Amino acid sequence: MGIIELKNVSFDYESDNTLSRGVKNLSLTIEKGSFVVLLGHNGSGKSTLAKLLNGFLLPGEGDVFINGINTKEKERIFEIRTKVGLVFQNPDNQMVASIIEDDLAFGPENLGVPRDEIIKRVDWALDAVKMSEYRSGTPYKLSGGQKQRIAIAAILAMLPEILILDEATAMLDPRGRAEVMETAKRLNKENKMTVIHITHYMDEAIDADEVIVLNDGEIAIQGSPEFVFGHPEIIKEAGLELPTATKVAGLLREKGFDIPLVLRDEELAEAVCQLR
Amino acid sequence: MSRDITFGQFYPANSFVHKMDPRAKLVLVIAYIVAVFLVKSLYSYIAIAVFLIAAVLGSRVPVKSVLKSVRGILVIVILTAILNIFFFSGGERVLFSWWKIKITVEALLFALHMALRLIFLVIGTTLLTLTTTPMNLTDGMESLMSPLKLIKVPVHDLAIIMSIALRFIPILIEEVDKIMLAQKARGADFESGGLIKRAKALLPVLIPLFISAFRRADELALALDARCYNATPKRTKYKVLKLGWRDAVGVIILAILIAAIAAVNASFWGLFGFSFGV
Ligand SMILES: Nc1ncnc2c1ncn2[C@@H]1O[C@H](COP(=O)(O)OP(=O)(O)O)[C@@H](O)[C@H]1O
Ligand SMILES: [Mg+2]
Repeated sequence: MGIIELKNVSFDYESDNTLSRGVKNLSLTIEKGSFVVLLGHNGSGKSTLAKLLNGFLLPGEGDVFINGINTKEKERIFEIRTKVGLVFQNPDNQMVASIIEDDLAFGPENLGVPRDEIIKRVDWALDAVKMSEYRSGTPYKLSGGQKQRIAIAAILAMLPEILILDEATAMLDPRGRAEVMETAKRLNKENKMTVIHITHYMDEAIDADEVIVLNDGEIAIQGSPEFVFGHPEIIKEAGLELPTATKVAGLLREKGFDIPLVLRDEELAEAVCQLR
Repeated sequence: MSRDITFGQFYPANSFVHKMDPRAKLVLVIAYIVAVFLVKSLYSYIAIAVFLIAAVLGSRVPVKSVLKSVRGILVIVILTAILNIFFFSGGERVLFSWWKIKITVEALLFALHMALRLIFLVIGTTLLTLTTTPMNLTDGMESLMSPLKLIKVPVHDLAIIMSIALRFIPILIEEVDKIMLAQKARGADFESGGLIKRAKALLPVLIPLFISAFRRADELALALDARCYNATPKRTKYKVLKLGWRDAVGVIILAILIAAIAAVNASFWGLFGFSFGV
């Protein structure tokens, strides 16, 4: 059994007597320690899925299990929210306190963690995102990437087992994006954190253990990056683009060149050099 | 355009007053305000002035910064003084009278009295905000108000609201700057025209500001929930406030000041005819 299990989960938003589909009939297993990238066009249900995972939303049909706990168990909801940390798009809107260490302490304080333990967690979380020297500073002068790393640290201070980044790189410049990706990958490798990274930058999906593509609330395709990007028709139908290297390789193939499926720029360069 | 108003008018320094506990400072400022209102004789202001000079020296805040706060209220001080001079009734020693206007020595003294009172009040409270960050003030207030939890006042929620307001004011100000620049680039004019025209010009700034503020509030609410806000009533505290010897010294000095004012009130009462009840 995976750390996350979804069984036939559907969720519809209801507003002014009209239903709009969030997700439909999702069944999914995510293994502990994996790095999952969730792709999908705007409105495809990615955020809805993220909110179903930490109990912000409860499934209309079906069940969501985190570590075997059903998110519908009301009295364990904070246990679930602690286990499943959610980071959002805009780092500015996730910070509560004007001093970085106070902001990191906010989550553990809410959970009633003893003070000595909070200090240890703040130290550890700042170190995990490589922001220790900013401990007693304010977030105002930080770059977007640094702010988002602080937002991640604030979630880490609650010691989650699953980290969900809901388009956490969408507002950042390329450097900030790289910083956040590097942080997420490191947490996954070194701390065995299960990471679900929601994005619409295809290039961020190439190193994933598993890629899931959502289209209108349903899973369009799911599997290794090679498998998923090996199905350009499905990617296209889901309203997405291929990673740049894969796209270029495909165009070359159409022109009659003998180029295999590639994901990374270096692989493309390699393959092109092999041509005669 | 970068204004770091997170720290309000906080003047960073490593002084005696800066190192005092915010709760002690808050209590002392309240006691000080009461003391200033207790003053019945102009002589007591000497005691208050000595106390204030000591406090300013102990805070290492430049005198200029302190006086800046007085400049802000100078108009009010002068206006109330003038009103007091002309509308004070019951004075006997007439200095000047013409038609229905009568200025008495008592009126002048009363006006001076009120002006000094206002100025001393402002200097005292300014010193608090100059030496304490808004964050520390919030912590201090939360701690002082914590007994109110017994009568179900949501003290902690209030503190979080304050803290979030402090956090977002600079962000929103920055946003106003950005929107205004964007509108100016499109030819908007915020500087010329009458009041109504200028207010109208601000409308295209306010609407996007409100939209963005609501969007932020939406996300912030999610972020608060994601951090398990209200998970347990047994919330712990990361920052602990600690009373120290400096706070004791502050209390003692203020006690001496109040005693001095009381003594002056008692001995000079009526002696020089300068005294006025509140
Ligand atoms: N609060 C809401 N009320 C009504 N409909 C919503 C709400 N949030 C999302 N939706 C709808 O649910 C669908 C999925 O949205 P979402 O999960 O936010 O997609 P994504 O994160 O992939 O952009 C969209 O069609 C969207 O319009
Ligand atoms: Mg979304």
